[in-house]
Amino acid sequence: MNIDDEEDVFFEEGPEEEEEIQKRDFTKLELKADHINRPLWVCADGRIFLETFSSLYKQAYDFLIAIAEPVCRPESMHEYNLTPHSLYAAVSVGLETETIITVLDRLSKTKLPKEIVDFIRDSTLNYGKVKLVLQKNRYFVESPYPEVLKKLLRDDVVARARIIANEVAEGTAPSFTVSKAPQDEGGADPELLGGTDAVAAMEEKDLHSFEIDPAQVEHVKQRCLPNALNYPMLEEYDFRNDTVNPDLNIELKPQAQPRPYQEKSLSKMFGNGRARSGIIVLPCGAGKSLVGVSAACRIRKSVLCLATNAVSVDQWAFQFKLWSTVGDHQISRFTSDSKERFRGSVGVVVTTYNMVAFGGKRSEESQKIIEEIQNREWGLLLMDEVHVVPAHMFRKVISITKSHCKLGLTATLVREDERISDLNFLIGPKLYEANWLDLVKGGFIANVQCAEVWCPMTKEFYAHYLKKEYSRKKQALYVMNPNKFRACEFLIRFHEQQRGDKIIVFSDNLFALREYATKLRKPFIYGPTSHHERTRILYAFKHSPDVNTVFLSKVGDNSIDIPEANVIIQISSHAGSRRQEAQRLGRILRAKGKPQDRVAGGAEEFNAFFYSLVSTDTQARILPTHPEMYYSTKRQQFLIDQGYSFKVITSLPPADTGADLSYHKLSDQLDLLSKVLSAGDEAAGIEQLDEDMDDITRNRFTRTHGNMSTISGSDGRFYMEYSTGRGRGMGRGQLKKARDPNKPRNQLFKKRFG
Amino acid sequence: MVNAIKGILISCDIPMAQFIVNLNESMPNAHKFIVYMLDDTHIYVQPNVGEMLTKRLQEFRDQNTYEKPL
Repeated sequence: MNIDDEEDVFFEEGPEEEEEIQKRDFTKLELKADHINRPLWVCADGRIFLETFSSLYKQAYDFLIAIAEPVCRPESMHEYNLTPHSLYAAVSVGLETETIITVLDRLSKTKLPKEIVDFIRDSTLNYGKVKLVLQKNRYFVESPYPEVLKKLLRDDVVARARIIANEVAEGTAPSFTVSKAPQDEGGADPELLGGTDAVAAMEEKDLHSFEIDPAQVEHVKQRCLPNALNYPMLEEYDFRNDTVNPDLNIELKPQAQPRPYQEKSLSKMFGNGRARSGIIVLPCGAGKSLVGVSAACRIRKSVLCLATNAVSVDQWAFQFKLWSTVGDHQISRFTSDSKERFRGSVGVVVTTYNMVAFGGKRSEESQKIIEEIQNREWGLLLMDEVHVVPAHMFRKVISITKSHCKLGLTATLVREDERISDLNFLIGPKLYEANWLDLVKGGFIANVQCAEVWCPMTKEFYAHYLKKEYSRKKQALYVMNPNKFRACEFLIRFHEQQRGDKIIVFSDNLFALREYATKLRKPFIYGPTSHHERTRILYAFKHSPDVNTVFLSKVGDNSIDIPEANVIIQISSHAGSRRQEAQRLGRILRAKGKPQDRVAGGAEEFNAFFYSLVSTDTQARILPTHPEMYYSTKRQQFLIDQGYSFKVITSLPPADTGADLSYHKLSDQLDLLSKVLSAGDEAAGIEQLDEDMDDITRNRFTRTHGNMSTISGSDGRFYMEYSTGRGRGMGRGQLKKARDPNKPRNQLFKKRFG
Repeated sequence: MVNAIKGILISCDIPMAQFIVNLNESMPNAHKFIVYMLDDTHIYVQPNVGEMLTKRLQEFRDQNTYEKPL
């Protein structure tokens, strides 16, 4: 994603460089006569702007989301970007090059620039010519065009990955297995503006294929991407005609009603009666799990579902049972706590990434299960929260498990390490991305008012903040800023008393979490809080009218499910992570209240609130990890791109309601300051949490170098042998000589030596 | 006898005043520029440091602001 101040240029003349202006000068573009009715501006550099107030918005949006990447989607103007990857995704959902060009031309206000047409032609030319197929646990590269395969094989990486079957003689290497192409059935996706079936043209043609090494699949796929060989591989799974793998007899329960956008995302996945691999992006609380379960119910083969931790494993298992007719005997969980062996030849297995990717020694029991997972051919590999998993772990998981079709689910396709593009070949193209604001308008997710509360530092705190000797305490100082505390207290009081809301307060800083919670007499949960305690607090939060606020550390980001909460106050956060911001917002996105109240102008236009408390003017030159003001702006970027606007509140608490809040008196503030300064460094730091890990990683043994004595703990206590001249032959005599024969022997020695 | 000192009056918010005080303290004695600390938000400084202060404040602010990379 990158920002472009394109819209600024539309309206104002920025002091930009000459070239920039020329590149973005669109005055010469010719408008079509009826341009008012058309919703798109298409620029020569691949950017597309969509007017959301146009009457054709819905169709244009559906089309654009299929062919381009959304960059920024505020309320009335969306920006999209045409990239080779997005066009790849478009073709893989069944759109043809000519369809893309004609539809784009039809929607555009101006004549399509020639560059764009060429760009689309170039990048879609080779799509769909090559396919990657999994048959009986072996991978094949398949194409109706033998010359394409030959071209591929001329590449080093591909050639090395090829497995040459025994019966084929070495000399005739470039010959391919030929088979009849199966008749294609099922029309094209009818939603995509009448696009015709891309694969239909291949009917009744011979298919040529060669086998490749399963371990090399990823590299081959990467080589074939547009930036290298430019023959991107389609991965499709013809699950209806798959007679090799046994069917799993599950169906959606009748009460599971997929919402329109869920249907749409599924239709992208099952465009022509086959299942495609890819990623579906839906905001938190919009029902990602239902999409996953529905996909499993359509494919109806064995499903391997991967989640990030044990809690979500339980949730997924629960979702499967809730939405589908899967029986208890067909579903099994595989975590370090519950190792349920699966029975029968088909079923749903829910496990974590860590359990599968773990490279160390396992217990015998889990070793058996993992072998079963490895040896099985999976119909669907369902991957939750694909954005959090490290790329190398993905690679491992994907290379270990063999699946016909991979579906990745996520709410936030952003990563701070920008490894998102790896997902393109690891899983597949992005199939669908929902527009957050449209879902809000439809009443599917809560309408959130986002606000950033600016709390000025108090004089004493800021003076200490600036001093070099307290550089390690900077974070503690700005989190514990009394003005911030007072703002937080004010907000809690306001929402508890005036609106009767349920509030979550997030703090990554444990010292602050404890101080705030004890001062305000509220329960708090952090990493070491026991499971029993957590359940008790959360139960009280859900059901008791007296417990309306709970303080959470990072543990609350993902794994704790609190559908009741509708206010979030964030007092400290992980530096600059856009994902965390979005995940936290997701905690309150589940729709609440009656839909008719929620539309603009209704009784409750906003029914959820997201406050981010920021101490102003804070930044650290010495410790670049802690600039709060800096990062808060960066964190919000993702939500801003989704069309959320952040309201800035500068005067909280209001001047007249000061006295009854804590830390009103200067002496109290100074007490707090000395407390912060005397707190240990570790207490003031960020919680180091292993919540995303399994207990495998947690209890991992460490291998150390050393000998027997080191391991037994007697290091440094062994006997030294001094070289006392023993080797020189005289040694023995000399030693004996040391005893004076005239000296009387000890009683004990007398007995022995006589 | 009234003693007149030429200088600049700075009025700002509390944190900025602290920033200037801190800057003043980090200078060697000869370069200290604060003449009087009038109250929390008003400082009277030497007449020659105006430009330097604006520059330092601008730097400080730049470090606090995030711009989405192009």
